[in-house]
Amino acid sequence: MTIWPDISFQDRIDTSEFRIHERAHITVNDDSCRGCTTRECVVACPANLFVPTSDGGILFNYENCYECGTCYLVCNKEGAITWTYPEGGFGIVFHRT
Amino acid sequence: MTDADIIVVGAGPAGSCAAIAAARSGKRVVLIERGPFPGSKNMYGGVIYPRILDELIPQWFETAPIQRWVIRRSTMVLSDTGALNIDYRSNAWGQAPYNGATAYRPDFDNWLAQQAVAAGADLICSTTVTGLLRDDQGRVCGVSTDRPDGDLTASVVIACDGVNSFLAKQAGLYPNANADNYTLGVKETLSLSKHIIDERFGVRDNQGVDIEILGGTSGVNGGGFIYTNLDTIAVGVVLKLSKLSAQKKRPEDIIAELKRHPAIAPLVEGGEVVEYSAHLIPEAGLEMMPKMVADGLLIAGDAAALCLAAGIWLEGVNFAMASGMYAGQSASAAIDASNVSAASLKSYTNRLNETFVLQDHKKLRKIPHLVLSDRVQHRYPAFVTGVVERMFRVDNPTPKPGVRRIVREERKKAGIKLSELVRDALTGLKGFG
Amino acid sequence: MTIAVCIKWVNYSGPVESDTPDERFAGFSFADQAALEWALRIAEKSADEVLVLTAGPVGAEAVLRDALSRGAHRAVRIDIDLTSDSSVIARSLVGAMSQARMVWCGDYSNDRGSGSVPSFIAAELNIDQALGLVALELPENANASFTAVRRLDGGRREQLLISGPAVLSVEGSTIRLRRASLKNTMSASKQEIQVITATGDRVETPALRPYRPRPRVTLAPIGLTALERVKHITDTSSSKGHGETVHAEPSVAATLILESLRKWGYLP
Ligand SMILES: Cc1cc2nc3c(=O)[nH]c(=O)nc-3n(C[C@H](O)[C@H](O)[C@H](O)COP(=O)(O)OP(=O)(O)OC[C@H]3O[C@@H](n4cnc5c(N)ncnc54)[C@H](O)[C@@H]3O)c2cc1C
Ligand code: SF4
Ligand code: SF4
Repeated sequence: MTIWPDISFQDRIDTSEFRIHERAHITVNDDSCRGCTTRECVVACPANLFVPTSDGGILFNYENCYECGTCYLVCNKEGAITWTYPEGGFGIVFHRT
Repeated sequence: MTDADIIVVGAGPAGSCAAIAAARSGKRVVLIERGPFPGSKNMYGGVIYPRILDELIPQWFETAPIQRWVIRRSTMVLSDTGALNIDYRSNAWGQAPYNGATAYRPDFDNWLAQQAVAAGADLICSTTVTGLLRDDQGRVCGVSTDRPDGDLTASVVIACDGVNSFLAKQAGLYPNANADNYTLGVKETLSLSKHIIDERFGVRDNQGVDIEILGGTSGVNGGGFIYTNLDTIAVGVVLKLSKLSAQKKRPEDIIAELKRHPAIAPLVEGGEVVEYSAHLIPEAGLEMMPKMVADGLLIAGDAAALCLAAGIWLEGVNFAMASGMYAGQSASAAIDASNVSAASLKSYTNRLNETFVLQDHKKLRKIPHLVLSDRVQHRYPAFVTGVVERMFRVDNPTPKPGVRRIVREERKKAGIKLSELVRDALTGLKGFG
Repeated sequence: MTIAVCIKWVNYSGPVESDTPDERFAGFSFADQAALEWALRIAEKSADEVLVLTAGPVGAEAVLRDALSRGAHRAVRIDIDLTSDSSVIARSLVGAMSQARMVWCGDYSNDRGSGSVPSFIAAELNIDQALGLVALELPENANASFTAVRRLDGGRREQLLISGPAVLSVEGSTIRLRRASLKNTMSASKQEIQVITATGDRVETPALRPYRPRPRVTLAPIGLTALERVKHITDTSSSKGHGETVHAEPSVAATLILESLRKWGYLP
């Protein structure tokens, strides 16, 4: 087997710089998610920000978002996701990509 | 009087080149970027083909923040255990006028935007454009931003706001913005010493390698890539959005599996993840392109889906730089002619049609969907590696089978119909030939 | 008059690879941002001029322009190496802020700062200091005194009444800095920034030692066993008459307690 440093998901996310603003730039309407069986966002969000809750809803955190746009494209439910960019100057800041 | 002649939204390669071109022709240009500095929001695989800059920035290669000059391009086809590698090396690419170069976007885009500032454009960062302003006849006449007192007027707005282009969408120019037309790129920047990179990839000094990979994406349609920087390498995958969720595979797991492939592992071994990143790609080319011109408005770069994603061979930065430059020139010409209507700005799309920007797209029209099709993705890698494996295998004392027989048997084993193979080969030939 | 705000150019995150931050990944801390916001709010009422200062190389001018775009009136950069001694930095800053009736700072910078620059500034200016403020209440009238809460060790709080010239350092959580308007952002890039060369001298502070009460001579009692003598010296119980319960109004009680302590030699 090959050897390279295993990396936990949190460590992976921690390699990115996020300048976090107090306003959530993306919001998820938990009510829409309750009826959603496909849950595309849970698999596709590269930052793993959509977490199914035990009671059938979706818990969403905006802080570590890459602002990629995947979630609003894969989600088929009208109105489940409200998507904007964070306030200018905030959010993801890439260094060596 | 307007606040500016031309407002350029987005300081990526498209926006900065638009700003340079417009400022050079004496226009008052404001370049607005939502990140704290140009390039802070921008991520890509890793290779820029900057020859188009010859026109805007002669001797660009003397100041551009380049990591390595690409002198080797490889395409790998991976099956579960095998790999077919097509490798081309040209040391001539390591000297002016150069071919491709690896660079970090937070470096490159920032440098390019500084060229726009040097040409006289005003660069405003940390400012998100939130919408288009329109005059009483519905023509675009400026933008609103998320700053207090944030409206800014201009004769022409050039939207270079990247793949999600909310401006093009707001202007109603984007009918085909659905998940089928996009791929998600995720990437790890791995740190390795320069010495190790040089040895592993067979290069020295600032020579670099670019490897595109077909197969190896855990059954999700897409591809992989490896690029060498000075003391890091980029390893990533590009994944078809509509298939990603269907396969229930998470992006970072697909990278991990690619890194574990026996043909890839020796290249990436020991590399520590120093940065993880993600970004979308407008993948469908002509199939998804919006209208690029409206009264007082031009769209360039990824915002206009001009990224050439011939499957996994991504050229987006050069298309962005070229289209941005033409947009900047056309906007200036329209202002000089005191007519910024869509009809007058049409010179922009004419320019795109005359040059590689749209000609390459037309030529490769069918390629993106072909390369990402289920056949090419799931059956061809097994097929071609199977064929090659049997051609190279020495089965003494059994005599070697004829190539024709190998192809027939492997094709059947991979479940590919002859008619499909012929059709795909023709599409491929028409595209690349 | 002038209200001075001292801000430091620091790395926001990531490894500190050199002493000069990369402009792209640097700015000024939330604490410094809060200091600027308080100064701007006071100046709005008092019509004072807000002067922002930073000590650092030319790249640090980015934070001054940022401050100008948010409403500061004038900016000065002290040209100095970022690794310089905080006492030297403080003296250089003071040299550039003549007439300041108030100096605002962040409580400490987020790059391993110790928060000593504000106190050096206070020492150099010889004015009061109110450091590490966690809450403030500005008065209606900008020149009136006002109260502020300061953090002490062990989670305790101290309330201060601030009147007259002072150096104040605040935590980032006290207030959020306003966003610059578009027009100010555009004009700030063209505004002039005054550059001053650092003085190179340290701030002189009086030598300080922790307070230690004078030793008191206690004669050993005579004629007892060793064990009893030790007990007699160390015992705090009634045998020496030191135990005394005071029943009185708090203010009177305090005086009585101080008297007793003095009598027994615990206070000078
Ligand atoms: C994984 C991946 C790999 C790739 N590999 C390659 C490769 O190897 N070679 C290659 O040539 N291309 C590659 N590309 C494509 C290339 O990155 C893009 O085509 C190119 O960046 C497009 O440039 P642009 O200027 O149009 O858009 P962008 O580079 O996306 O720039 C858009 C800019 O606009 C700003 N912006 C967006 N919205 C607003 C707003 N509302 N207000 C203000 N500012 C805004 C953004 O912050 C950004 O700076 C790759 C892309 C990906 C995702
Ligand atoms: S966000 Fe969309 S895809 Fe995700 S659970 Fe909710 S409705 Fe489903
Ligand atoms: S924009 Fe991208 S990173 Fe952010 S929540 Fe959506 S999918 Fe996740």
